[in-house]
Amino acid sequence: MELIQNLLLGFSVVLTPLNLIWMVAGSILGTILGMLPGLGPTTGIALLLPLTFTMEPATALITMCAVYYGAMFGGSRSSILLNVPGDGAAVAACFDGYPMAQNGRAEAALAISAIASFIGGLIATVAFVIVAIPVARFALRFGPPEYFMLMIFALSATAAISKEALFKGFISLLVGLMISTVGIDYQTGVLRFTFGLMELQTGIDFVVVIIGVYGLGEVFKNLENIASGGGLQAIQKKFGRIWITLDDWRRSIIPILRETPVGFLVGVLPGAGATIAALMAYNNEKQLSKEPERFGTGTIEGLAAPEAANNACSVGALIPMMTLGVPGSGTTAVMLGALMILGLQPGPLLFQQHADVAWAVIASMFLGNVACAFINIPLAGLLVRVLAVPPKVLYPVIVALAFVGVYTINFSVVEFVLLILFGLVGYGMKKYKVPTAPLILAVVVGSSMEQNFRMALMLADGDFGVFFRNGICWTLFFLAIGSIAWPFLSSRIKLPWNRS
Amino acid sequence: MKRKSTLSAGLFALLAVFFLVSSAMAADFPARPFEFIAPGGAGGGWDTTARLSAKVLGDTGIITQPMPVINKPGGGGGVGLAYMQKKKADPYSLIVYSPPLLLINLTGQTKLSYRDLTPLAMLINDFGAFAVPKDSPYQTIGDVMEALKKDPKAVKTGGNSSFGSMDHIQFLQAAKAAGVKDIREIPYIAFQEGPMAALMGGHIDLLSTGMAETVGPLEAGEIRVLALTAPQRVDAGVLGQVPTLKEAGIDTTFINWRGIFAAPGVGADEKVYLTEALRKMSETPEWDEVCLKNGWTKAFMESEAFAAFLEKTNEEYKDLLTEIGLFKAQ
Repeated sequence: MELIQNLLLGFSVVLTPLNLIWMVAGSILGTILGMLPGLGPTTGIALLLPLTFTMEPATALITMCAVYYGAMFGGSRSSILLNVPGDGAAVAACFDGYPMAQNGRAEAALAISAIASFIGGLIATVAFVIVAIPVARFALRFGPPEYFMLMIFALSATAAISKEALFKGFISLLVGLMISTVGIDYQTGVLRFTFGLMELQTGIDFVVVIIGVYGLGEVFKNLENIASGGGLQAIQKKFGRIWITLDDWRRSIIPILRETPVGFLVGVLPGAGATIAALMAYNNEKQLSKEPERFGTGTIEGLAAPEAANNACSVGALIPMMTLGVPGSGTTAVMLGALMILGLQPGPLLFQQHADVAWAVIASMFLGNVACAFINIPLAGLLVRVLAVPPKVLYPVIVALAFVGVYTINFSVVEFVLLILFGLVGYGMKKYKVPTAPLILAVVVGSSMEQNFRMALMLADGDFGVFFRNGICWTLFFLAIGSIAWPFLSSRIKLPWNRS
Repeated sequence: MKRKSTLSAGLFALLAVFFLVSSAMAADFPARPFEFIAPGGAGGGWDTTARLSAKVLGDTGIITQPMPVINKPGGGGGVGLAYMQKKKADPYSLIVYSPPLLLINLTGQTKLSYRDLTPLAMLINDFGAFAVPKDSPYQTIGDVMEALKKDPKAVKTGGNSSFGSMDHIQFLQAAKAAGVKDIREIPYIAFQEGPMAALMGGHIDLLSTGMAETVGPLEAGEIRVLALTAPQRVDAGVLGQVPTLKEAGIDTTFINWRGIFAAPGVGADEKVYLTEALRKMSETPEWDEVCLKNGWTKAFMESEAFAAFLEKTNEEYKDLLTEIGLFKAQ
């Protein structure tokens, strides 16, 4: 078995003290960066760059990968405890993770998020070993029309997530799309809605939107009752073990296994990211669930599914970079640059010329996911105590954290104004029960969706038929239609896989 | 009591020494830490150049004051340019730039231009590459240009940055030099991410990009690189087999230069000091190694020559942008 031999070769490289130390250090750094709003794996890896120049290529790559998936583990900590997502991929963890913490189940929420991330990462790594090359080839078939249809599917599924709020969902979606039009238009170089502000030329960073809508919005909403004495009571005073019950496990395992492949496949596509993966996973589970009304109130499977998917996505995103030399995300683009400086050229030849490095990275992902799980569970026991802090102390801290977080994006104060603005938007949306997920996803994919639409038409000389040019397009089209119709149909159809 | 007075005498002596040292330093430049601005995000080309030159300057002891790199991303470099205006005549703020410095002014993204900075030195050059999918019908860059001469819409080109930016302009410059008439008509598709994947998947016909980006896919035989925009052949690796535009009979070059600038109105002495420091740096073996690893071509040019180069290049870009209707007079 060549595969086993290769893996053994990989493990033999990883299992040196130096590589193990760096892998653990990378996991810890990634977890911490992931937890801090505004900072993510891209920043972490960029800051590590000068350090990696002095390392062996395998060590450098192992460390950077560890930062990458470590951030996926860490990103949801602040979503669950504070409703402040660390990055786009952790937004979905707010939906059920934060309500769980509010209901006194923070321990279970933190535990399942680490467990789901672990399982998702592990399965995705196995998939990486087996199907990397064919999957990467398949991903190349995605051109502008296919990406456009994929984003239409993701958006319609998110907007249609609750049939009661279908109208509000679409309003939220449209507002998000409007926000995404700000900035320079790539196809024409024209500035749109920048009001003469240079800081707006690159558009509104979605991290500002998510920190505003979730973090600040939640604080604003709680200001309503903070004066009436609610500010003195801590949410939780006694803390149990960071673990889950058998029932939690039974509810979560199927969603985790179901959504890991979704996250993995979205990750492999160079034009889609972890935010799409996590929100898609959440939507799927809500639509497949027998009790969709429980989603959003703190149900454990609503947290497990996106957590598994976003970690699987980060593993999938390494595939186009490692096997084709094509970066699949901002983070992998920085990694690609670093590898070239180290004298390694990622691509199909990497596995032939530097098999030891390539397989060492894969082997390190198995061990790294274990390391992340071990780091995160005791860490969670520490972090959970933040809930013992009374709101009147905690909220100013959250506000400070939010401001620092958005400042690190562009080091400019324009973001402060935007942050407050989106905080008010988030408050309004909560007050009038407008779903926030469609807005966030629209901000994340809106610009790319619009550009892909126009790119597709330019490539086809204006022929709209290009959006139905192959089976991928048709499949995504029917999935989009189905996702809107499904909430209305599902109550009438009995699903065989739902346990009674 | 006795002890206390000894202590205060000692303190006084110490202060006096400090005072002497610091007044001696004041005559000398530099006397305090610099800030090195990268007008883009961490990990990008500007950021890498700033970090590595600060590192070499420090490691070789050419400049002993600390030089922390600060990122001021936004507006395609415009935010950094605006920031430097606040540092007028302050020799302690340096910034790195490349062709977008000229382009963002010509396309009207900012009113500020290269004239609002003090050019210190050009450090390195990088070149563009034109790549096609492996099964493309085009064998040479000449084939591409012939097709465009017949029908300017025949070849769908793409790049990694917006309309009117570097990837776009370098191809238009080549097309114009090759005698393509309606360069405005050539479709250019601007990708925010993944243009190489789009080329390998056959979604676009030609990718205009940086040289380094093509090495991996080229080695693997996934794409073919038809031409480089360099003035002569590069000497390393697979790209050594790729002809330059000139060799292919298209008389033009496109240089992706990177250089260091100071704030506007910096004094002559400080300017000379900094230019000389950068010259010394570019002559060190440490810098050679940095260039080799990054695939940069060393191209030191001192401040006066650099300023003249900028003026000439600015005119060339202006002509091209006027032709495609993107030039906005400031």
